[in-house]
Amino acid sequence: MATVTLKELKKVYDGNVVAVQAFDLEIADKEFIVLVGPSGCGKSTTLRMVAGLEEITEGELYIGDRLVNNVAPKDRDIAMVFQNYALYPHMTVYENMAFALKLRKEPKEVIRQKVQQAAEILDITDYLQRKPKALSGGQRQRVAIGRAIVRDPQVFLMDEPLSNLDAKLRNQMRAEIIKLRQRIDTTFIYVTHDQTEAMTLGDRIVIMKDGFVKQIGTPQEVFNHPANLFVAGFIGSPQMNFFDADLIREGDNYKVRVLGREFWLDEERQGILRSKDMDSRRVKFGVRPEHIVLCHDLALEPHFHATVDISEMMGSSVHLHVESEGQEVVIILETIALPDVYRAGFRHGDPINFTFGGNVIHLFDAETEESLLL
Amino acid sequence: MKFRKRISNAIIYIILSILALIWILPIGYLVLSSFRVEQGSYFMADRETGKQYVMPKAYTLNNYKRLFSAEARKMFDFPRWMWNTFKIAFFTCVISTVFVLFTSYALSRLRFKMRRPLMNVALVLGMFPGFMSIIAIYHLIGLVPGLAQSHAALIMIYSGGAGLSYFIMKGFFDTIPFELDEAAYLDGCTKWQTFIKVTVPLAKPVVTYTVLTTFMVPWVDFIVAGTIMKDKYENFTVAYGLFEMIRVENINVWFTTFLAGAVLVSIPIAILFLIMQRSYVEGVTGGAVKG
Ligand SMILES: Nc1ncnc2c1ncn2[C@@H]1O[C@H](COP(=O)(O)OP(=O)(O)OP(=O)(O)O)[C@@H](O)[C@H]1O
Ligand SMILES: [Mg+2]
Repeated sequence: MATVTLKELKKVYDGNVVAVQAFDLEIADKEFIVLVGPSGCGKSTTLRMVAGLEEITEGELYIGDRLVNNVAPKDRDIAMVFQNYALYPHMTVYENMAFALKLRKEPKEVIRQKVQQAAEILDITDYLQRKPKALSGGQRQRVAIGRAIVRDPQVFLMDEPLSNLDAKLRNQMRAEIIKLRQRIDTTFIYVTHDQTEAMTLGDRIVIMKDGFVKQIGTPQEVFNHPANLFVAGFIGSPQMNFFDADLIREGDNYKVRVLGREFWLDEERQGILRSKDMDSRRVKFGVRPEHIVLCHDLALEPHFHATVDISEMMGSSVHLHVESEGQEVVIILETIALPDVYRAGFRHGDPINFTFGGNVIHLFDAETEESLLL
Repeated sequence: MKFRKRISNAIIYIILSILALIWILPIGYLVLSSFRVEQGSYFMADRETGKQYVMPKAYTLNNYKRLFSAEARKMFDFPRWMWNTFKIAFFTCVISTVFVLFTSYALSRLRFKMRRPLMNVALVLGMFPGFMSIIAIYHLIGLVPGLAQSHAALIMIYSGGAGLSYFIMKGFFDTIPFELDEAAYLDGCTKWQTFIKVTVPLAKPVVTYTVLTTFMVPWVDFIVAGTIMKDKYENFTVAYGLFEMIRVENINVWFTTFLAGAVLVSIPIAILFLIMQRSYVEGVTGGAVKG
């Protein structure tokens, strides 16, 4: 258990590949941090710098109060679970898990106990005498996790530990990691490119792109208040709808023009923009598919006309792709709340009207792509 | 279809049998003749009729006994040469294997400036036959007091350049995922411990291969041993020593004894092969990373 502090961390690989830069993060004791972002954004590099497997080009890294930039991995007291397990093939499962403890010269009896205990948590007691090659992918992944937890490390690192598993097993293991986390209660840094994993596991999420941190926050924060266009688009599935729009200032009041309609912003947003003394400008207007609803009362403003393109029945919800003013809009509708006329389903070309609350819209500067509402 | 397959199988087996025969015949001849009662050299011809024959007329263990007899040891000290060769082989094998392991590990796992050029130079150097430099080495060794005509000199020559044949071992190390090293570092290993506890055990088949090949060197080398030892009869290795028996002036009397010696020489090597073949054949890398 320990805090981890990353200060202005930067990594430049040979050949001037800047993989990570300006990475600032204070991880609290026992916090579960998830690094998420598209492929090649520098997640693994960051994690490997924390592990000591990659030299830090610039910046400072603290584990607890100790500056560890030049501390060898073995002296950092961290454990890591690799994407492809990295089990020692010439050792049995038991030996794999006991390896680190043996190196620390712990008494045999203590080692036996710890391994046994970890094996019980992970439900692998039956395989202790097997070699890794005689295990399935999911079992190997458990052993890899077991090897890390027996050490009782200060910090627990995981690099896409579930990405080699099939969808069903992945969900199951994700739930187990949540349980595990409750049992072993230590500091976690977890890398994934899967935003669902990020949202469900993280106390806080770090969203990265091209080596930069785009936003750090709790799952709620990054979902409800994305700091920029990238985060808004990355978090949430299906993606947030974006439209080109105009922010118009009239005196001290703000309205937007989008999809051929104009309407006043809600008081909260007015207040934020006013406090920033924001001028009229081109913006990207964002609204999540799940925040759009069908509009039956045409007195309600704003409302938008659209025609159905395709509808995807997902069971408990319908993903509706509609066209409005030449732009594609995705809407998620709860099946259970559908009006009778649509119970039978939507057909191509059906006219519909939709609307959304003023409190769910996002505005981003068209040029900087930063949120105007933070 | 089935018929064609049979024909092709038949052809393959015939070719293989011929090859096997070509391989086995000399060995069979050697073993049989080493038990031969009649003396005489290469050709076995009947004294009276002058007709040549292959199978010995009578068998005896005398050729073997003779190797160890006090009378013979005055001229050809076979037991001593065996022991010499064994000593030299042992040390050559240990030192060479260590050299090859270290070189291969460095070239596979460490990154340093001259790595590529070094590898290429080593590869090219390794292609020259070792005895090319033997005269130079002979003179160099003469410069070091006590080294001339010694076993230490032979061991140094045999194992000194071993690192040059890093190629197979390095290739094998390259197939061991680097993540295993990283996992070991995180588990608390130093580089040395990683090498000893992870890399070497995983490379068991090639380590075995290296042990076998380096152990064999002194048993089959003739040129280097001869050049270095010259007339230092008590320091000879078997390969060079046995050859003394089939020089023109000796061959008629000593030929069958020579054959017995040759058979005995193959025994320690055969034993080593039998002991090590299990780990030689058995692969151990499965299941390291997702496969
Ligand atoms: N050893 C290296 N030498 C040079 N460039 C590298 C090296 N390792 C990674 N990079 C580059 O650094 C960037 C970040 O790589 P990194 O592995 O951290 O990405 P990632 O976020 O983990 O991606 P993924 O989700 O695909 O694993 C990439 O552009 C990659 O090409
Ligand atoms: Mg990665």
